[in-house]
Order: sequence, then structure tokens, then C-alpha cells
Amino acid sequence: MKILGLYKNSQVFKIALAIAIVVVCYIASMFYSQMKKLDSTVELIANSNETQLELEKLLSVISGYETSLRSYIITKDETYIESRFLNRGKIEESITRLKLLTANDTARNNDIDRLKKLIDLRFKLFRKTLLLAQSKNSGPLTLNEMLLESSNVTEMMKSFVTKIIYSESTKTEFENNNHQFELQDSIITAFLLVILSLLILLLSFQKMNIDIDELKKANDQLKLLNESYNTAEMTAGFGHWMVNVETNKYTFSDNLFRLMGVEPNAFEPNIENTIPYIHPDDLEYVTKVHKDSLVSHQSTSMIFRFLTPNGDIKYSMGVGSFTKNGSGDLIKIGVNYDITSQYKKTLELEENNKELKYINTKLEAFNNIVSHDLQEPLRKIQMFISRLEEKELDLLSPQGKDYFSKIRVTANRMQTLLIDLVNYSRTIKGDKVFVETNLNKVLEEIIQDLSTNIEDKKAIITIGNLPTIKAIPFQVKQLFINLISNSLKYSKEDSTPEISITSKKITEKEMQDYKIANKKEYHKIVISDNGIGFKQEYSEKIFLLFKRLETDPKYSGTGLGLAICSRIVENHKGFIKVKSKPNLGAKFYIFLPKGDLL
Amino acid sequence: MITHQDSMHILLADDDEDDRTFFSEAIQELKMNNKLTLFKDGNDLMDYLEHPEIKLPHVLFLDLNMPGKTGIDCLKEIRSNTRFKDVSIAIYSTSSSEKDIEDTFVEGANIYIKKPNDFSKLKEVIKEAVNMNWQFHTSGLNIETFFFSI
Repeated sequence: MKILGLYKNSQVFKIALAIAIVVVCYIASMFYSQMKKLDSTVELIANSNETQLELEKLLSVISGYETSLRSYIITKDETYIESRFLNRGKIEESITRLKLLTANDTARNNDIDRLKKLIDLRFKLFRKTLLLAQSKNSGPLTLNEMLLESSNVTEMMKSFVTKIIYSESTKTEFENNNHQFELQDSIITAFLLVILSLLILLLSFQKMNIDIDELKKANDQLKLLNESYNTAEMTAGFGHWMVNVETNKYTFSDNLFRLMGVEPNAFEPNIENTIPYIHPDDLEYVTKVHKDSLVSHQSTSMIFRFLTPNGDIKYSMGVGSFTKNGSGDLIKIGVNYDITSQYKKTLELEENNKELKYINTKLEAFNNIVSHDLQEPLRKIQMFISRLEEKELDLLSPQGKDYFSKIRVTANRMQTLLIDLVNYSRTIKGDKVFVETNLNKVLEEIIQDLSTNIEDKKAIITIGNLPTIKAIPFQVKQLFINLISNSLKYSKEDSTPEISITSKKITEKEMQDYKIANKKEYHKIVISDNGIGFKQEYSEKIFLLFKRLETDPKYSGTGLGLAICSRIVENHKGFIKVKSKPNLGAKFYIFLPKGDLL
Repeated sequence: MITHQDSMHILLADDDEDDRTFFSEAIQELKMNNKLTLFKDGNDLMDYLEHPEIKLPHVLFLDLNMPGKTGIDCLKEIRSNTRFKDVSIAIYSTSSSEKDIEDTFVEGANIYIKKPNDFSKLKEVIKEAVNMNWQFHTSGLNIETFFFSI
């Protein structure tokens, strides 16, 4: 693994390759010098061989002359000698050649000089013998002596030449042996060179293969990334572009073209070609901001409109920033995000908001009408009722008195309804200011406000230790007023109403049922009574607007009281639950979130 | 210092004829020794008050919703004139909106009476208001005691 890692490391590989090349160069130079040496050895052997050949040739020429001379002495035929003895040309040529061949070998050169002297001596003898043979006055004895001397000199020369030849052949043999040895060396060197070169080639090839493989993988990954990026751009509705500030060359992503309403690469990406796709009203601003940024190198952010060829207007948010690319050129990269739908939604929302505000003012006007204008005539009706009751009641027949009392009850009922309606509309109104509210204080006030009612019913109200909560004070007050009034209203006639308002701990079951993650996040306040109660199945219905349970007609209600409670608790991001059984009273549970949830 | 034993001069400005009738009937039935002057709107009231020779009233009952000069307009004018600094002003309106209560309190009204829907309650309110020790009430005035309830 470690070796493979090293192998994959291109730095290490480069070093190895350099070392290998140095080794190959060294071996190659060694090979060259070996070859050179081999070459000189071959030359040396050839030289030696030629020397031997030349020497033998010389000997044979001398022998030929000797034979010719003898033949002449015997036959006296002039043709044998002609002018040969005077012509030493061939011999001189051989000597010169030998001198040349042995130029590098001083000992051998001296040998040749000695040989030359011997030849000179021999030729002297030749001439003497020939002269002796041609003069008729010489005795055969002198000629014989001369021939014997000649023969001796020839023998001496022959033995001398043989000696040289022998020494030359010994040298040749030695050189030959040497040559064989060097040849072997060179073969090994050459083989090594080939093997090493092959190895380097193989390793390079393998490395190249691996690199190409990795490059291909990286390329594939890049392609995939590019593709997914393109898809992402399409899905998210954004496109990007780049400009090299140095070369002023632009590139646009496929989806940027689509944002402009054209096919990818529909035109050469640059400012001039993009101009027709920018809304004329925004063009000046967009080009100014962009061109200024190319000078100042500051990031840009702007919202403008694209105008597509088929006339659609697309709102676009463009941000651009500067960075340096791989070759150190400054480039600006920009992303354009299609915000048309958001923009339209915002417009729509603004429109809705306006309408809502308008509705709200209408609602407030309505609220005013209900609270003031409707109450005004009603109040007067009640006033006249009280006047009649005081002054004229006695004049009415019993049935008239009955009708009169019904008019009074109905007018009172209408008044309650109007007050409830005002209270309900007040819970819908937007301005909710949450302040720290001490519930015990709120309840003190409520008991004060409801004192007449409480005294009438002779009710016993128990108030526990209640928390201080963040709330809209008048709404929280309304909530408890309604709940306590509710308990008072639906009390049993034959027993003392008992109402308690206490703060309780949240149980495990409630956490499960109402999906409360943390007990500490909510206040739980319980209002329980011993009134007439109702069937548990109505526990949801009673909080709905204008929903009244079918009860005895003596329990009059507007159907608004508990709807107001539910609404108020909702305004405080809490919830209200009720548990009840007919004749066994009711328990209202209010869950109000603590500060940070609001 | 005027005490309630003296003949008190009471003013009422209210555009509603029925309410004016109820008010004067209540005063009559209370058999109090006081003089009541009625005005059908704010303009009438202010015209009257501008007369230099009139005897200044002890208490002014002022309706808010009136054509022409509204109750708030009259209140501002009266409170900006030092001549009327001893006139006690009781707002007498159907509205019990917090805004109206706050505004009139800020502008210097002394008490705020919501028109009752029962004649006997009306008598009670008027009796209380007229017999009130105004100076004592005004010295300890705050927004809670300002709203007058029986």
C-alpha cells in the first residue's frame, strides 16, 4: 500500500524517472566507450594480420628473387633476371606499408628497420652474386661461397620474419581474447541498457495509464457535477455567469440563457448581446452597476427585469463578486436568481394586506356601530322601560304586565349580546400588546366587578396562587370574567355554587394528549365548578361561535362567551380544554405558553 | 368654595332630546335645589359660556357625540380658558371606549359617566355627581377613579 502510494505520488515518480534516466545515460556512455575500445581492438587485430601478410609477401618476393637468380646461374637465361634485381620498388612499397602499419609500435618499427637492413644486405649479396655469375672469370668456388652466404642471409631473414610473425600472431591472439572478453562485456551492458529502458518505458506507461484513469474518473465526476449543477440551476431557477476581467471573456450557464427566454448558447455571451434581453427601463442601471464594479472590484447586488423574446417580464435578483482563477486572473462571478414568482407573490401579499387593512378599518367601524350606535337606541328603550315600570306599570292588565316583563328581558338580552359582540370583535383586532400580568391581581379586579352577581348567587370563589404571565391584560381579564360568569350562570339552583381558580402541574397524560414537549413551557390554570355540567361529547362544540347547548330556557346565553375565551387563549398561543359530566360540574383547563413561546 | 347646600347651577349639553328629558326629569325627581340649563349642541353651549355676564356653572355635563362642536372640542376650549378653571366637567356619554375615556381624561375632564340604561340608576349617578366633593375628587384624580361607576 505504501509503495503504491509512493508510486501514485507524481513527485516521487518524477525523481525515480530522473534517476533512471541518469543511470541509462551512464550505461549508454559506458557502452559507447566499450564499443569504441572494441573498435580499436578490431583495428589492432586487422593491423597485425596485415603486418603478417605483408611480411610473408616480402619473404615470398625475396624467395622469388633467389629462385630466379639460381635459375639464371644454372641456365644463363637472361629472361629470369631482366631488370628485376635493379628494381626494388615492390619491396620498398612493402617496407613503407609495414612502417605505416607498425607506426604505433616502436619495438616492431625497430624490427622493421632491422629487416630493411637485412633486405639491403640480401640485395647487396644478390648483386654481388649476379655480377660474379655474369663475369666469366670467376671460379665456381667463389660463386658457391656467395650462394651459401646468400642462402644463410635468406635463412636469417626468414627466421627473423618468422619471429616477427610469431610475435604478431601471439599479439593478435591476445587481442582476440581481449576482444572476446570486451565483446561479452558490451553484450551485458547492451542487455542491461535494453532491460532498463524497457523497465522505464513500462513504468512510465503504467503510470500514464493510472494517471489517465484518474483523470478520466475526475473528468466523469466533473461531468456529473456539472450535470447536476445544471439540473439544480433549472430546478431552483437560477443561472450563473463569469467574466475574466483581464481578457473580458464572458461565459454564461445554460440556465442563464433559459432565464432570458432563449436556448442555451443561443448567442455569444457578452454584454452587447445580452442588452436586448434586459428590460429597457433597467438597462442603464444594470450596465452602470456592472461596469462600475469591473473598475472598483466591489461586489454587486441588484434586482432588475429580463425581457424575453416573447415579451415575458422576469424579475431577477443578481449578485456578483470577484475572485481569482487558477491562472491568477481576476474574474467576476455572478448568480442571477429568478424571483418572478416571489415578486408576484409579494405584490399579491401587499394587495391582500391592503385589503385586509381596509377590512380591518371596516370591522372597526362596524365595531363602533355595534358598541355605540346600536347601544344608543337600546339604552333608550331600556330607559323608557324603566320609566314605564316606575310610573305606569300599575295601569296595565296582568297580561300587559307579562308582555312588559318579556320586553324588558329581551332588551336586556340584546344588551348582553351587543356587549359580547363588542368583546369578541375586540379579541380579533390586531393590536396585541403583551405585558407582564399578575393573574392574582386580575382576579381580584374580576371578583370586584362581578361582586353583585356573586352575592346574588351566594357563590364561594376560591383563588389559588396564580402565576404572573405575559399577556394582553384586558383579554386575560375578559377570559376569566367569561369563565367565572359561565360557572355562575350554569350553577345548580339547589346548592351553593363553588368555583375555584388554581394553577396546577401538567400531568404526563396531558403531555401525551396535547403534544406538550416540556412541562415547563406552559402554565396550566384550572377553573372548576360544581354546576350543572354537560356531556363530555360537547367539549369541543361549546367553544364555537354562537353554539349553544340545549339547556333549560332559564339559562340564557349568547353563544359568544366561550368562543371569546377560546379566541383569547388562541391569541396567547395557548389552548383551552374542558372536562365535564352532567350534574357533576365542569373543569376548564387553560394552557398558556410561558414567555419565550409568544 | 361652593358647597352643595347653595343653589347649584348645572349645565347639560346633549344633542339627544330624550336624554335631555330624562336628565331634567331625574333632576326634578331628585328635588334638589339647583338650576339646570340645557343645550342642544356644543355650539349653543359655547355661545352661552362666552357671555361675560353669566353666572358660571358648578358642573357641566357634556355629551361627546354632538353635531357641530363635539364634546371633546368644547372640553378643549373650556380648559384652555382660565375663566372656567373652577367649572367641573362630567363627561356624559354612551361610549365606554378606552380611547374616549383616555382622551377626555387627558384633556382635563373631571369624571366620566357612562349613560345608564335605567332611570333609577340615572338619578343615582346625577345625585352622586352633583353632591360630590369635587375638590377632593379632583385632587386624587387618576384614570381609575376618573371613570365613574355606581
